[in-house]
Amino acid sequence: MFKRLKNIAGRRKDKARLSKKDTLASQKREKNKSVQSSVTDNLNLFKQIYKIPENMDVKIREFTLGKSGRKAAILFISSIIDSKRLEESIIKPLLQCQDDDAKISEIIFNPILTPVTEIKKVIVHLNLGNAAIFLDGDHTAYMVDCAKFESRAIEQPQNEAVIKGPKEAFTEKVVVNLSLIRKRIKNEKLIVEATVVSERSKNEVLILYIRNLADEKMVANIKSRLENLSVDAVQNLSLLEQYIEERRYSLFPSVLYTERPDRAVSFLEDGNIVLLMDNSPDCMVLPATFWSYFHSPEDHYLRFAFGNFSRIIRIVALFITLFTSAIYVAVTTYHAEMIPADLLLAIAGTRERVPFPAFFEILIMEIAFELIREAGLRVPNPMGPTIGIVGALILGQAAVEANIISPIVIIVVALSGLSSFAISDVSLNFAIRIVRFGFIFSASLFGIYGMTALFITGLFYMVSIKSFGVPYLAPMSPHYVSSGDTIFRKVVTSEVFRPGYLKPADLKKKGDGSTK
Amino acid sequence: MNPLFKLFLLVPILFLLAGCWDHKEIERKSYVIGIGLDKGKEQGTLEITYLIGNPEVGSQQSGGSSMEEPSELITINVTDYISARNIANSVIAREISYDLLRVILVSEELASDKDFLRFIYGTVKDREIKRSTQLVVTKEKVGDYLKKNKPKMETRPHKYYEYMIDRGIETGMIPDSELHIFFRVTEEDAKVFLSAYTSSETTEEEKQGPTQDEFYAGQLEVKGETNRTEFFGSAVFLEGRMIGKLNGEENRLVMLLNEFSEISDIITTFQDPFHEQYQLSARIIAHKEKTVKMELNKKHPKIRVTLPLKVEILSDPSMTNYVEKKKETAQLEDYIESSMEKKIADLVERTQKEFKAEPFGWSLYARKEFKTLKEYMTFDWMKTYPEIDIGVKVDVELGEFGRQPKIPGFKGVRD
Repeated sequence: MFKRLKNIAGRRKDKARLSKKDTLASQKREKNKSVQSSVTDNLNLFKQIYKIPENMDVKIREFTLGKSGRKAAILFISSIIDSKRLEESIIKPLLQCQDDDAKISEIIFNPILTPVTEIKKVIVHLNLGNAAIFLDGDHTAYMVDCAKFESRAIEQPQNEAVIKGPKEAFTEKVVVNLSLIRKRIKNEKLIVEATVVSERSKNEVLILYIRNLADEKMVANIKSRLENLSVDAVQNLSLLEQYIEERRYSLFPSVLYTERPDRAVSFLEDGNIVLLMDNSPDCMVLPATFWSYFHSPEDHYLRFAFGNFSRIIRIVALFITLFTSAIYVAVTTYHAEMIPADLLLAIAGTRERVPFPAFFEILIMEIAFELIREAGLRVPNPMGPTIGIVGALILGQAAVEANIISPIVIIVVALSGLSSFAISDVSLNFAIRIVRFGFIFSASLFGIYGMTALFITGLFYMVSIKSFGVPYLAPMSPHYVSSGDTIFRKVVTSEVFRPGYLKPADLKKKGDGSTK
Repeated sequence: MNPLFKLFLLVPILFLLAGCWDHKEIERKSYVIGIGLDKGKEQGTLEITYLIGNPEVGSQQSGGSSMEEPSELITINVTDYISARNIANSVIAREISYDLLRVILVSEELASDKDFLRFIYGTVKDREIKRSTQLVVTKEKVGDYLKKNKPKMETRPHKYYEYMIDRGIETGMIPDSELHIFFRVTEEDAKVFLSAYTSSETTEEEKQGPTQDEFYAGQLEVKGETNRTEFFGSAVFLEGRMIGKLNGEENRLVMLLNEFSEISDIITTFQDPFHEQYQLSARIIAHKEKTVKMELNKKHPKIRVTLPLKVEILSDPSMTNYVEKKKETAQLEDYIESSMEKKIADLVERTQKEFKAEPFGWSLYARKEFKTLKEYMTFDWMKTYPEIDIGVKVDVELGEFGRQPKIPGFKGVRD
């Protein structure tokens, strides 16, 4: 029977289909060759590698060089090059060349011209959008830069919108992202190192840090982690995060994402490391503490009082999200004497006709809210508002009228749901929303006592975890020299120190009172 | 999978085993707002009346409002009110809860009984009874009182008792009589405890005299269509037993002299010293600290108290315009001082002769006069109090004379 199943599954056929020629190992063998002197040989080799003409966007242009009649060819991938530039600055001068002895660097207008002799490197360049020029009797291929990857223009940040402050966001094109950062740090010590992290797709990660600020050990640590990866493809940073983080089962995130170049720069200037990657409209900041998820760039753009006010609102929202539903369950089932008399009677009065225990009632509504949220996210754009109305109206009003839910539960769940939107970081948002269910369960089992126990356990955990060697709650616990930017922030002129937990080479970033 | 990790997965089951004790859904309880205590038919028993609030009435703005009564009364004969909770369940469908208990009402008859102390100390044993519960004495049997007491506006009983007692304390007609104070005073054994006094029965000799606060509950004449329950005056407890009563006026004076009362809104009347047929309305404000001086170590112990008061004259029925007349104002001040001093002197004498203990809290000052606790104990405050020479001086300062101090003269208008 198993044999038959195997036949149906077609394992053997699969094995047979993959010819020995096309394996990764055989590809490597071909790549290790060097460029031949005959154009035809070279072209034949590349036709084999790229499977021309089946591979429709890899193009070859053959021609003779000027009047000399020397055979030449240009190889490129048409979908990722700028054909106009190719025509203007490469093909035209080559065809019109009068001087037979001129070197190729003297003919071509393009600023970047790389002579390459290994096939392996030629392929890398071709895949990056360069064109390869082969000449008869020459053992080198000349790689000319004329790449043009299609991508979005720079847009406003979607998830980290601010009222006051710059409104540029990273895009999927790493060169653009890099230029957005270079625009903000005009310092020769800003180092951009590139590492290839995947074996088949050759995805490249850029490691950014400021040389005389960032801790060398940390840079080396992150580099080694990236280099030790053995993966076929890593599409973007969101996936890379999951490869390099320390605790993959942990609820709390350990690296920070931001789509704002200004935010990335402020972390760089504090001694953090930033990773950039193509196809990621954001950057990854390492290491990250709990506070960085809680903060918003606007906290510092707004004046002292205003920034702190919005911080208070956010921390309150965080605790409301965590606790309101759980407190309702705990108080109504264990600690009725804590509620003011009128409210107690009102809850008791409305609950008389509700068939479920308070815990179950809350759970139904919380799940309903999460459903609306998830469905609203996945629904096609024009239907979004409808889902909101249907969710709020049907679930809320009708559930109360049908005596399935008491009206106070709607208030409690709506409040905790609304507050959860104030936590802007996606990762922390998820963590809080999941932990909230933990609190509801513990409240239903042990009341406030259970909630306290869970909260303390959670604190123990948060104090124990680290993000790339940095304690999660630093600089509050354990204490480090820093600007004290945790729950509240200081006046800008008093924020003199870089965070000590990053072990920056230069701890002080401002003069006393920000004057000389 | 790691076997230790598998074991760890069993931990949540432990929570399920240990959890949920004491778990009770909020709507499965009956909330007792007031407990009434009467003497039982036999010796050593109590007649307990439960005043139970109905959560369904008045709690919802729209929909679901029922035609049910706002409260329910049951009376049972038991030995104490802790076991009463289960017996009451033969009539009441839900678990009896004291979470919302506001008042413990005791009939005068039971409060005067020598065994009252035995019953009331049961409240300390019960976890749910808060020490902030008010202890109120009713003139009649509590069962009858509660049956008759049907407020027209505050139909929900917890609101009625909360507002009634809070406002009574503000105006000083009744004292703040939390259970906690009762136990503290009883155990301290240095003064009497005052408890709010109430009645829903009207006596035949209803009064509505010129001075309107010298009554006991049930004596004030009130007309109209209203609930005839009055909270007026206080019951005096000595060593955990009721020994007498103070009327509204006496209670106000005690509250004025007491350090810890929350009296804040006293409007009373004085006879106009220049026109006997008129009464002057006055607001009394205790704006300064009173001074209490004691000389206890001499052969004849002495207490001298100065009570500084601000008095605002709010009415002027004789249309004399006192505000303009310096001589008359000075006389008025003297008159108010002397009339208040006389009333206080009468009250002090009454406490010395009738109760043989004081309600003012002076023992706190007396303690400071002794170097050691032993000396204070040998002095024996309770025993000495009736013989102490006590003088209370009232220091009146006239404040404003109403919003518009000056009004036209009576003769000027009727010319």
